[in-house]
Amino acid sequence: MPETKEAYFTGQWWKRTDVKRHAVLWVVLTAVIGYAGTEVQVRAMGAPASEVMANVIHLMRIFTWAAAPVAGFAAALSIGALMGKRHHGDFPPPDTEHAIRNSPRAIALWIVVSALMCLFALVVGLIALQKDNTSLLDAKATHVNVVGQQWVWNFDYPGDGGVRSQVLHLPVNQPVVFRVTSKDVKHSFWIVQMGIKIDANPGEYTETAVTPNKIGTFDVRCAELCGLLHAYMQNKVIVQSKEDYAKWLASQPNQGVSTWTEPGAAA
Amino acid sequence: MTTTMTHSAPTEGRTPKVGIIRYLNLFTALALGIISAIVVWRLALAFLPQDAETAVMHTREDKIALLSMIGWFVGFMTGIGALIAPFRWVMGKDLSHEENMYLAGKDMGVKRYFRYTTDHKVVGIQYLVITMVIFGIGGTLAMLIRANLGKPGGGWIHPQAYNSIVGTHGILMIVGTIIMVTGPFGNFIMPIMIGARDMAFPRLNALSFWLIVAAAVPLIWGQFLGGISTGWSAYNPLAGQAPLGMDGYIMFICIFALSTMVAGANITTTVVRMRAKGMTWNRTPIFIYGVVASVALALPAFPVFFLSQVMSAFDRALGTSFYDTANGGSGWLYENLFWIMGHPEVYVILIPAVAALMEMAPVFTRRPLFSFNVAVMGIAGICGLSVLVWAHHMYISGWAPLLNAPFMLTTELISIPTGMLFLVLIGTLWRGRLWVTVPTMSIFALLWNFMIGGITGIYLSDVPADAFLHGSMYVTAHFHYTLMGAGLTGAIASLVYWFPKMTGRMLDKTLSWISFWFVQIGFNVAFLGMFFVGLQGQPRRVEAYAALFNKGNLITSIGAVVIMTGMLILLAAVIGSWRSGVKAPMNPWQAKSLEWTVPNPVPLENFETLPVVTEDVYGYGGKK
Repeated sequence: MPETKEAYFTGQWWKRTDVKRHAVLWVVLTAVIGYAGTEVQVRAMGAPASEVMANVIHLMRIFTWAAAPVAGFAAALSIGALMGKRHHGDFPPPDTEHAIRNSPRAIALWIVVSALMCLFALVVGLIALQKDNTSLLDAKATHVNVVGQQWVWNFDYPGDGGVRSQVLHLPVNQPVVFRVTSKDVKHSFWIVQMGIKIDANPGEYTETAVTPNKIGTFDVRCAELCGLLHAYMQNKVIVQSKEDYAKWLASQPNQGVSTWTEPGAAA
Repeated sequence: MTTTMTHSAPTEGRTPKVGIIRYLNLFTALALGIISAIVVWRLALAFLPQDAETAVMHTREDKIALLSMIGWFVGFMTGIGALIAPFRWVMGKDLSHEENMYLAGKDMGVKRYFRYTTDHKVVGIQYLVITMVIFGIGGTLAMLIRANLGKPGGGWIHPQAYNSIVGTHGILMIVGTIIMVTGPFGNFIMPIMIGARDMAFPRLNALSFWLIVAAAVPLIWGQFLGGISTGWSAYNPLAGQAPLGMDGYIMFICIFALSTMVAGANITTTVVRMRAKGMTWNRTPIFIYGVVASVALALPAFPVFFLSQVMSAFDRALGTSFYDTANGGSGWLYENLFWIMGHPEVYVILIPAVAALMEMAPVFTRRPLFSFNVAVMGIAGICGLSVLVWAHHMYISGWAPLLNAPFMLTTELISIPTGMLFLVLIGTLWRGRLWVTVPTMSIFALLWNFMIGGITGIYLSDVPADAFLHGSMYVTAHFHYTLMGAGLTGAIASLVYWFPKMTGRMLDKTLSWISFWFVQIGFNVAFLGMFFVGLQGQPRRVEAYAALFNKGNLITSIGAVVIMTGMLILLAAVIGSWRSGVKAPMNPWQAKSLEWTVPNPVPLENFETLPVVTEDVYGYGGKK
């Protein structure tokens, strides 16, 4: 096949009307997609109850704005193609179009830009991941053992008088490390408004950490299908001031739950 | 040599001498399968020892269920005639030409669709019908799910039944989408497109189809033994405690995996070995690349799926502990095996659908495919990376937190070859003269849906964001956008495009347009609503939800009804046009690929003289 030279982007190509039209469309669509995308996300995800969740929302806002020009570009070209020459009927249009088989510049640009965007997403993600990981090592953190079983969550406070509760109480602005396991099948421990989730595996211990920064009532839900009443395996998280929390803890009976270092709580 | 002359000529006017083959069809297969299952069941009941009173694991019933299902499988495959040819070969009495022609369904009419027929065009039609049946059942289950989620706080279906509906919907749709392009079009169109008379292994082709039929029965059977209450992923240890329906799932997966492996080996060999003279790799249509990439990717993936389920069966029926942490196993092992299959599998679904649209784009814009090489590289890149990303499904499982960053890297890298596929499609559309047809608009629909599916995939690939999104409806919406919004759109476009060649009639234009808009609009309404409830924090696979999620779920349900309407219209169009549509010309789209050079209906063995290829199929466009 004869290779046809692409003669489109020559001379002062940026002054061509259809190039300008596509460029305007691109900018407008980028703004619309970016704004609408982030607005919907922020509204749906609600107010964060921890820095982790605030970071997640922030991260998703960055990704949405980074993706908006890509989506906007594809959409602008698609709309441009749709609004361009059209042909209706049962028979094909005449074979008179440009036979463009290649465009080395466009391909190179496309691949380089997509690689850079990919690198950007990776770096942003790694930075956020690093923050989450270091919080696991906080020596001043309160420890809570989380035991999932079909279909309730149990929260054990081994360091604080052996308390066991089915409603999670947490002191505000105090780092917490959760040590999570399960008695039967796989569950997934999710505090929705705090943006943390970790699976509860039978016979294994997993960890996640968060610092609640808002007083209020939040939701813990199971995020892994765990049998009959999976949908009902949810409860409240009550974040209190340090004084209220201490009062609550003192009012609870000692149920002799095992300590942090002995993971016998699952038994 | 007397072979062709003496064997083919005298068959006219009398039934050829073909021995037992002529007595075997779907009905003997069903009969033998059922008899065999009952016999095995009675024998197992009589001879298997009772579980000890003190035993922790009760395995007798699982043994009986699994053995009966194996009995069904062996009986069915024998009854359909799958064993005849290998048996004859072992005896040193290979099938004669006459028998092979009979097996290919020569002059047999409609009956050949109910037999172990080796003609690739028959197999293609069989696949098309079974795909539509699977989508019909899976779609009905989806509507049941939506009906149950009509109001917050629990629906009218019992939770056990609901969970089973979710699991069955999942596995049916996964299987349906796996076969939706490579099954009907990979079998019917692909051999003609490469200029071959049939597949490399015609009998394996028949085998791959009838294995799916054989597999379906244990799945249905399982519905009456407690169902598949574990979701389609059937995670252990939940699957270990599930009722006997799980054994139906296990058998279904094992037989289906066999079918996929057989089809994969067959299609790959056909394309590598049987392309027409002159069809170099540079002149091979991109659809062929898509089909081969899909089935070749299934070759490493599905044996792992097979094994994961065999081990699951052992745990259930023999008391082993592959996945039992208390006895030295690990639930994480199952997750690894499952997703080592599971992530390549989504590209098994997606690639051929996108490739089909890339094949159509030049036809409907009358321009060459933009940068064939980038398309090939994109497909190859996705295939290569897709086997290295499985643990992004396990970021929050706790299995190996240190591996989260590397798996995030490989996952995000996939966006580069995926972007290449976008470049090819957009480049082909750019400045073209659009011939406005359903396949043309499907390209735009794919760009839109796949863009949303792809971008939401970036959020999910990011570990901290995934810690919020994992296990929520957001994930459900994301993979529906990729597998349905992109995949199914490509498959329906393929149906419209190749329907004239497969049935000899045009698909009703008005109805297919109406269906297109219903499905696309309904789809976007349904799953954008689902993204919203996912972001609000609704977990997946729940049968009850908080009042907060009411609005989003309502939107999703409305969208689902619109999709259903569109799909029913499409079904009406397919049935109506197949029976009494306008007769199609040989090449209604004036396309340049080889399948349009054979007459309607396509004769047995396709080509009178095999074609010789001198250029690729994208030589459109007059202006230089």
